[in-house]
Amino acid sequence: MARVYTSSVISAPPDRVWDRIRGFNDLPRWHPMIRESRIEEALPADKVGCIRNFNLQNGDNIREKLLGLSDYDMFVTYSILESPMPLEDYVATLRLTPVTEGDRTFIEWTAEFSCDPGDEDELVAMIGTDVFQAGFDALKRQFGGA
Amino acid sequence: MPHVKKSTVLDAPAEAVWDVIRDFNGHDQWHPAVAESHIERGYPSDMVGCVRNFRLEDGAILREQLLTLSDLEQTFSYCLLDTPVPLFNYVAHVRLFPVTDGDRTYWEWESRFDTPAGRAGELSDLVGDGIYVAGFEAIRTHMGIGHA
Repeated sequence: MARVYTSSVISAPPDRVWDRIRGFNDLPRWHPMIRESRIEEALPADKVGCIRNFNLQNGDNIREKLLGLSDYDMFVTYSILESPMPLEDYVATLRLTPVTEGDRTFIEWTAEFSCDPGDEDELVAMIGTDVFQAGFDALKRQFGGA
Repeated sequence: MPHVKKSTVLDAPAEAVWDVIRDFNGHDQWHPAVAESHIERGYPSDMVGCVRNFRLEDGAILREQLLTLSDLEQTFSYCLLDTPVPLFNYVAHVRLFPVTDGDRTYWEWESRFDTPAGRAGELSDLVGDGIYVAGFEAIRTHMGIGHA
């Protein structure tokens, strides 16, 4: 299994960051890579099992299924159903943890997936940098962060 | 049962912070509350089950037992055996996580314990601020790193 681990610190309390990111249909509101998103079958976006269908700025289409959502522990877990990326069994978790000193947020985004060994390094770097860290950078621009 | 949890971000790689704090017998090197520390019976300080014997700055003796230690997860946990302050059933966990953005460290320190009736607030402050937050600051000073 290939693994991606990316983490950062956002200069805002976790409940504010969570408000921004918990919506499974809300990626276009905060992630610069995502152009538009909808939930299939008009299900509520916090119904575990729902599927988001979204388009990237470059036109690529991705479908992802909500596997777990916890407002108490502040995490969301999802899998990829369809994407242009050459990978399988992709499961990712986005998690917030309070930093009590300074009332900030420790944010972690992790993923595991299977792929052709020759594609692994490129996929790990692309997901970790272009997707996860790019999302953190956008949140840092919105909320502040170092 | 009071639950105290404090966390911070250190401007140093997690491996470097772990090198310092993983030594269960090393807290007298950096924590201001601890004057002297030794491991009882000459056991190694990374042997799960070993007991550290602290002499505090005020002369009191405190004994704590190492319950878990993981270099992979960069965590350890311990319990209080003997203490001059009335903390009972005290179990604490220390965990480090890498902050890949900037090669920093997220550090959390938490515990649960019982206290005599009416003293939960006062003793929670003592543990949270007097031990954990003071420990964060002491590590910054010890390692010569700034706030992040």
